[in-house]
Amino acid sequence: MTQNAIWPPIVWPRKTTEVPKEIFVREDIYREELRRIFMGPEWFPVAHASEVPNNGDFRTCVVGEVPLLVTRDEDGELNVFYNACSHRGAQLETKSCGNKKLFQCPYHRWGFNARGTLVGCPLKEGDSVGFSKDKYPLSRPRMDIVHGLIFVTLSDAAPSLAEFLGGYEDKLANVMGGDGRLKLIGYHKTLLNANWKTYHDNDGWHAPLLHTAFRLLNWQGGKGIQFANARGHRGFESQLSVPDGRAFLNDPTLIEYRGGSFAEKGSCSLHLFPLFAAVKHLDTIGLRFVNPRSVDQTELIFAYFGREDDDEAMTRHRIRQSSNLLGPCGMVSMEDAAVFQRLHIGSRTPGMQIFQKGVKDEYAMPTDFSQNDESVNILSWEYYREVMGFAKEAV
Amino acid sequence: MSGMSMDELRLVDELQLRYIDALDRKQMPEWAALFGAEAEYVCTTAESEQAGLPLALIMDDCRGRIDDRVKFVDRVWAGTFQDYQTRHFVQRLACSRTQAGLFSVRSNVAIAFTRSDTNATGLLATGVYHDLVAVEQGRACFRSKRVVVDAAVLPHYVVYPF
Repeated sequence: MTQNAIWPPIVWPRKTTEVPKEIFVREDIYREELRRIFMGPEWFPVAHASEVPNNGDFRTCVVGEVPLLVTRDEDGELNVFYNACSHRGAQLETKSCGNKKLFQCPYHRWGFNARGTLVGCPLKEGDSVGFSKDKYPLSRPRMDIVHGLIFVTLSDAAPSLAEFLGGYEDKLANVMGGDGRLKLIGYHKTLLNANWKTYHDNDGWHAPLLHTAFRLLNWQGGKGIQFANARGHRGFESQLSVPDGRAFLNDPTLIEYRGGSFAEKGSCSLHLFPLFAAVKHLDTIGLRFVNPRSVDQTELIFAYFGREDDDEAMTRHRIRQSSNLLGPCGMVSMEDAAVFQRLHIGSRTPGMQIFQKGVKDEYAMPTDFSQNDESVNILSWEYYREVMGFAKEAV
Repeated sequence: MSGMSMDELRLVDELQLRYIDALDRKQMPEWAALFGAEAEYVCTTAESEQAGLPLALIMDDCRGRIDDRVKFVDRVWAGTFQDYQTRHFVQRLACSRTQAGLFSVRSNVAIAFTRSDTNATGLLATGVYHDLVAVEQGRACFRSKRVVVDAAVLPHYVVYPF
């Protein structure tokens, strides 16, 4: 498949500050994104080790359209498999999570342990030409782990995970409170009626003007920085300046910050191309596993964590704060989903989305960003353009 | 419906109907007024319950948070979202006295919603209400309402409580 799979072709504007709206709503572009990006040489976080803490724990997930199975085997090792029987390819596990010693395909009763070894099968050696159980383990994509976060890539052409992250391992650790020693407290899962790129482009960075809560609480952002690289990753780190809250909230614990010594990075995020986001805000630690469902719909799985060394009171605080602050019903995030949906509908009009704040040269790649500059997203769009093979308009 | 008088059962049912009516009319102060001075409202998913995960979709586990939710809907989020109209349908399944003046009620609930931008109607959620209802001096109020939603993945953002 070549650029011809996309017709009419996209001609990307010369201005780095413009993004064609039609890329958010065209089915042909979406299909090509699945091939070039989601099956391509990118790395995708699929779970954190703390989501499968016990031997035999498993979790299923999807990258693009490819179903995967994450397990912790009897030796405590983490594994990622394609979620399909090695016999006829039927989906092996259907539950989102659980604990099992044996994953059995109902079709012909082939059974696999958490290491992916075929351990049970009605066939015996000699029943068919060349059959032996050790020839048919579950297939695996490439995987790697950083700070407990399990990454996979579906492409042999992907660079190492370290190269993909481009030095942002420490940024990832910061979001998780300094390292990857986390403890799962639960999930918020919702469908966003918008293209996946709308989520990637707008989650994390968007104007505080949207969130009335900040104004009502007189909540001013602390001093912070944004960063971005040519691989399309970006993020921010800022101090926390938390208002008292009692003037507006009957229960100000919703915005209470108990993070103590980590206050200088009390609010931080890392957004990895194409879709993953890790966000720490106040005492919430969230890993956002996001996946496209269609050109018009994106699945958001927000996983929330405490720290392994949290005491009971801190665990309780994180549960109460994470439940009500963010997510599809969250005080300072419900309206995100609403405005992302409007962005998607508006993308069916002709023309360009425009970046303004922080832009110093409309034709150049920005290299530094102030705290609230939307120009931080421009590098990610340039990476996307290159991956998709969209030519720039001639001078 | 063990250990209940018809009058008590009527008060419990009327409370449930006032609850869904307040939500479908988007009258958040009326919604909050149906909870007692010490009360909680928690909404979670069946998947979280089965996995033993404590995080909730909404955890208004004290009276202050219930009152704060009225502010979220009526003031914080005002003008920021495309509104939708809900229609709640409730079917009481079981009701029993747990102690004097306190009743445990289990009901199925289905919540349809019609988006203001598309005018299309869909199913927002189905699930179960697990309620503790206090009846005192001819008046019923919720001591606790725990909503367990069947779907793990919500089809839409949530403005109004379930």
